[in-house]
Amino acid sequence: MKKAITVLRNMGPFRFAIKEARETAFLVAKCFCVLHVTDNYLISPVITYGHSMLPTIDATSTIFLTERISTRFGKVAHGDIVVLRLPHNPRQTVAKRLVGLEGDRITYVSSRLSKKKKKKHMFLVPKGHVWVEGDNKYNSNDSRSFGPVPYGLIESKLFWRVSPLKDFGSFWNK
Amino acid sequence: MSFMNHIRTVAKEALDRTSIIAKFLCCLHFTSSYLCSPTHAYGPSMLPTLNIAGDVVLVEHLSPRIGKVGYGDLVLVRSPLNPNRNLTKRVVAMEGDTVTYFDPLNSDSSRNAVVPKGHVWIQGDNIYASRDSRHFGPVPYGLIKGKVFFRVWPPSSFGLLDN
Repeated sequence: MKKAITVLRNMGPFRFAIKEARETAFLVAKCFCVLHVTDNYLISPVITYGHSMLPTIDATSTIFLTERISTRFGKVAHGDIVVLRLPHNPRQTVAKRLVGLEGDRITYVSSRLSKKKKKKHMFLVPKGHVWVEGDNKYNSNDSRSFGPVPYGLIESKLFWRVSPLKDFGSFWNK
Repeated sequence: MSFMNHIRTVAKEALDRTSIIAKFLCCLHFTSSYLCSPTHAYGPSMLPTLNIAGDVVLVEHLSPRIGKVGYGDLVLVRSPLNPNRNLTKRVVAMEGDTVTYFDPLNSDSSRNAVVPKGHVWIQGDNIYASRDSRHFGPVPYGLIKGKVFFRVWPPSSFGLLDN
């Protein structure tokens, strides 16, 4: 009995530390909440790498800011660079340029350099889908290989370039 | 002077109340987007499993993220034809399978299709009145929003929805 009372009396400062830890944990949770909402519904950063969007986007890793508001309301237009999930690999996202919206008639040439005769294809983009292509026509895995992409797979639109610092600035309508 | 203090207390109380509401909405949003959310499914395409007048069902959002969507699952999927609409259909085939399907409205014989990588084949239970993969093709796995597992309304059919 005496031991229990001594233990409880020594817990005083301990209780204060627990209270402070809890307050800090709540603050961290609130910050994380705000960050998460901003990232999912407003502005989200992406890192791009690869050659498929040369010369607009360099092959080295570049950081961009993307916004999710226009894509949520369907306000995308021809020439926008969008981040979308690949139809045949749901865990991978790519950045490509929007070349065709639903109802457009797309004419494209088969991208294989090895073929001597380049075959011309024509395609009508179905309802609810978009056609994306990389700017580097020779080295881009895009709608010419995996077909039109349902609009539901588009995540966000590139609008601001962050790195390298000398290129910091607006990336609208490039 | 006391008027300013009064306003200050009222403003503080308003801020406290608003922050409680904001925290509650936060929790609600988190649960609704990542754990479980209700949805209203209506139409004849899933008879007899779901009623034509409309059922309120619970959808869990964890399974598609961890890849646990399989054969016979009822899924909530974003429509490939209209991204603002969600469809409730059943997964009939996964990637790599060859589907033999019968579309009574368009042809008399059954047809075959191969489901490409990263896609699933969805069909409504009522093949006579359902617009599904037989019409718009296999659907990318990335469009699956959740798995339907429980029915809340009408109360007579309250309970788990099995395969």
